[in-house]
Parts: sequence; structure tokens; C-alpha cells
Amino acid sequence: MKAKKENAEIKFEDYIEKLEKIVQQLEEGELTLDESVKLYQEGMNISKICLKMLNEAKQRVEELVIQGEEQYTINPFSIHKGEKENNEF
Amino acid sequence: MNNYYPEANIYTVSKINNYLKTLFENNDNLQNIWVLGEISNFKLHSSGHMYFVLKDEESQIKCVMFKGNNFNLKFTPQDGMKVKVWGDIRIYERKGEYQLYARMIIESGKGELYLAFEKLKEKLRKEGLFAEEKKKKIPLLPRKIAIITSPTGAAIRDIITISLRRFPNLSLLVVPSLVQGTLAAQQIAERIDFLNKYFRDLDFIIIGRGGGSLEELWAFNEEILARSIYRSKIPIVSAVGHETDFTIADFVADLRSPTPSAAAEMTVPEKDKLINTINLLTGKLIRATKRNIEINLENLNSLNKSIKYHNPENKINQYYQLLDEMTIRLKTRINYQFQWLVEKVNKDTQRLSSLNPWAVIERGYSICRTLPDLEIVKKVEQVKIGNQVEIIVSNGKLCGEINKKEVAKLES
Repeated sequence: MKAKKENAEIKFEDYIEKLEKIVQQLEEGELTLDESVKLYQEGMNISKICLKMLNEAKQRVEELVIQGEEQYTINPFSIHKGEKENNEF
Repeated sequence: MNNYYPEANIYTVSKINNYLKTLFENNDNLQNIWVLGEISNFKLHSSGHMYFVLKDEESQIKCVMFKGNNFNLKFTPQDGMKVKVWGDIRIYERKGEYQLYARMIIESGKGELYLAFEKLKEKLRKEGLFAEEKKKKIPLLPRKIAIITSPTGAAIRDIITISLRRFPNLSLLVVPSLVQGTLAAQQIAERIDFLNKYFRDLDFIIIGRGGGSLEELWAFNEEILARSIYRSKIPIVSAVGHETDFTIADFVADLRSPTPSAAAEMTVPEKDKLINTINLLTGKLIRATKRNIEINLENLNSLNKSIKYHNPENKINQYYQLLDEMTIRLKTRINYQFQWLVEKVNKDTQRLSSLNPWAVIERGYSICRTLPDLEIVKKVEQVKIGNQVEIIVSNGKLCGEINKKEVAKLES
């Protein structure tokens, strides 16, 4: 639970920023082989995480139906539903 | 005739105008009133006072707004502008004209709602509800977004279509709500509170509706909604109406977008672009690392060269070589010496062999010894005539008797 929370705290933009910093460090050069390889591995890791984050969410369009102070259901939602209900045509 | 024009009813101009002035000022129907009309012949005098005429299709009235009243006008009045002017009708004695002494002008149609809007805006601003530093950041990569709006309008359709076009795998939660009418503000506020209670995993909430008149958008100007937006822990994006309409919700929201479509454009990133960004950075990462490794290799090579130059192995090898050379020299030397020795031995042997009496005998010399004593006869005096002697020659001996002695000096 705690781990999940910590994970959620690292945002996509933070990762991108970190990756940009690593690239900048490498581009500025004058790093030892050890440092280069370490930064490279870290960068590649972040790149993978970022791409993974992009695909984490699933497409879902739902409707929240509030039934009371504490009760609700979630139903699928279609944008065409509105058109039909509007019945303007 | 005189009865018809009684002298008692004679007044001066000043008197009659002064009378009328009093009459106007004491008539409550002419004080603190709103007058609707269109501005014409507007003039802003260098003194700071404003002069204009307010008219409608059939009639007109002169107006003046003194500097002390017009300095905090939110707009500059212009000819043709439909306005509502608040003030008193009084007599300008010097010219005997009545005019509207304006204390406030508002653009028509805004009316009381507009005043309420300005009042609430000022109140909430003072309370700090619009403070920039209080605004929450909208994450670059949203994964779950809630949209509080009418489920049947164009607004929700636009938001969903644009959002999914930009980022296909996105989770959208439509939260239906009234967006106009007296109940709308409270319902939207309740929805925001509800989401904060049960849906804390939302990246942000879009609240909005399509454009409309001030009255239609009014829900988004109400205090109850403003407070709910301010209270929300989840960032709120306002997406109300068209570009020119500002609402209180716009000021309190963490991000204001001019239309529902714009809300989606502003908050949902294009997935392809993000992938591009990552790929670009990854490419840069690989190239920069490669370059770093190459630089390091170059350094390593030059170091390697330098190390080889200073390598102790080199020295050892050199010593080995020296040792080898020395060994060879030593061997040569020993060989030489040995040879020398051999030669010497040979020579000595030769010399020795030359001293060997047998060798002398070989060459034709002979040895004479006395008998029986076997003394080598070196001088004549050693023997007497008649003594027996033996003569050793190279291949045997001869025996005989001495019968003559003669001393002679032999030169060698």
C-alpha cells in the first residue's frame, strides 16, 4: 500500500525531467566509463518506465450515477446516448 | 382681463428654476433611479467629467457623470453602447435644463447579476481564493479524468472525442449534473465534494458547459461552487462557455480553459508526441553514452600506451636481454679461456714432449750409462778405460767396453 503510494508520487513529468537531466549530463561529457554506463542504465530504465506509463491506463468511458450520500454505480457511457436522448433530430 | 393674469404670480427665472430644483429633489421618483438607454454624443471633458446623452427610439435626456463618480468605471462608455445609468434627475439652474446626474453606469444586460458577480469576485479575491500560489498543477500524463457537465450537451461529446483522439487509452468518468438553473451550482459543488470523497485517484476534474448568456452561465458564478472548487484536493479545470465569458469558477479553478474543447486540448497530451519525446530523449541518451564510451576508450588507449611505456615488464625484459647478452659474452669468454687453456695445455704438452728423452733419442741422440750402476755418462771423467757401458738408442741398447777417452770441447 505504501509502495503504491510512493510510486504514484513520481509523476510522468518528473521522469521526463530526470531523463532530460541524464541526457544533459551525458552530453556535457567528461564522465568516467563507470558513470556513463550507470547513467545510461538509469536513463534506459526511465525511458522504459515512461513508455510503460503511457500504456498503463485503459480506455474507459463511464458514467457515475450517484444514488445517495454514499452510494453510486458506474455504468458504461456512450457519447451517442446523449444525441438520442436529446432527440433534436 | 386682469383677473386672468394676476400680478402676484410673477417670478424671476432664477426663482422658478430654483423652485423646480427643489421640486425635483424632493421627488423620490426622481432620485436613485435606473435609466435605460443608448449613449450618444459622449464627451470626456479635460476636467474628468463625462457628458453624454442617453436616448431611446423616441426620446433623450442629458447626462453628466462627475469625475468623483466615474473614476472607478470598469469600462469606457462609447456612443451606441446600451447602458443602465443609476443616479438622480435634477435641474441645472443656470441653463434651466434637467439632466441625469449619473453615479454608476453598467452595460445593459449585465444588470444585477453583473453587480453581484463583481461583488462576489472582489470578496473572493480578497479572501485569496484566486491566489496563483494555491493553484494545483495539472499532471502532464492524466490517466483518469472526471467531467462534471450535462451528459447530453455538445460539451461532453467534444471533451470525450478530443481527449480520446489525443490519448486513446484514457479513463474518463462522466459525472452528469445540471449546468444551468437555480440548482446547478449546488449540484456541481456536491459532485466535486463527492469525487473528492470517493475518487481520490482522479488526476483532475473538468467542470463545464457550452457558451451561453450570463444568466445561463450563472451557476459558475455562485459562491457555493467557488468554495467547492477551492476546497477540492483534486485539481479542477474550468471549461465554461466561449472565450469572452469569464466566470468566478474560472478564477478559482486550478486551470481555466475558454471552452470545453479547449479543456481537452489543454489537459490531455497527445500520446504520439509523448512517445516521440521519449524516443528522442532515448536516442540522445544512446548517442551521448556512445560518445562518452568512445572518449573513454580514446583516453584508455593513450593511457595504455603510456602504461606500456612505463611498464616494469619492459625493464624486466630488458634485463633479461642484458642477461642473455651477458650469458653469451660469458660463454664466449669461457669458451675462449677454455680454448686458451687447451691450447696452453697442448703447447705445454708439446714442450714437455720435446723434453722427453725419448723424443731426443728419436731424433738420433743416445744415452750412455755406466754398468752396473746405470749412471748417465755426461763427462769423460766418469768412466775409465775398460769400464762396461750401455748405450740406449731409439729402439734398444748397445753394450760395450770403453777403450779410448778424449776430452773435447763441443760447441752447441
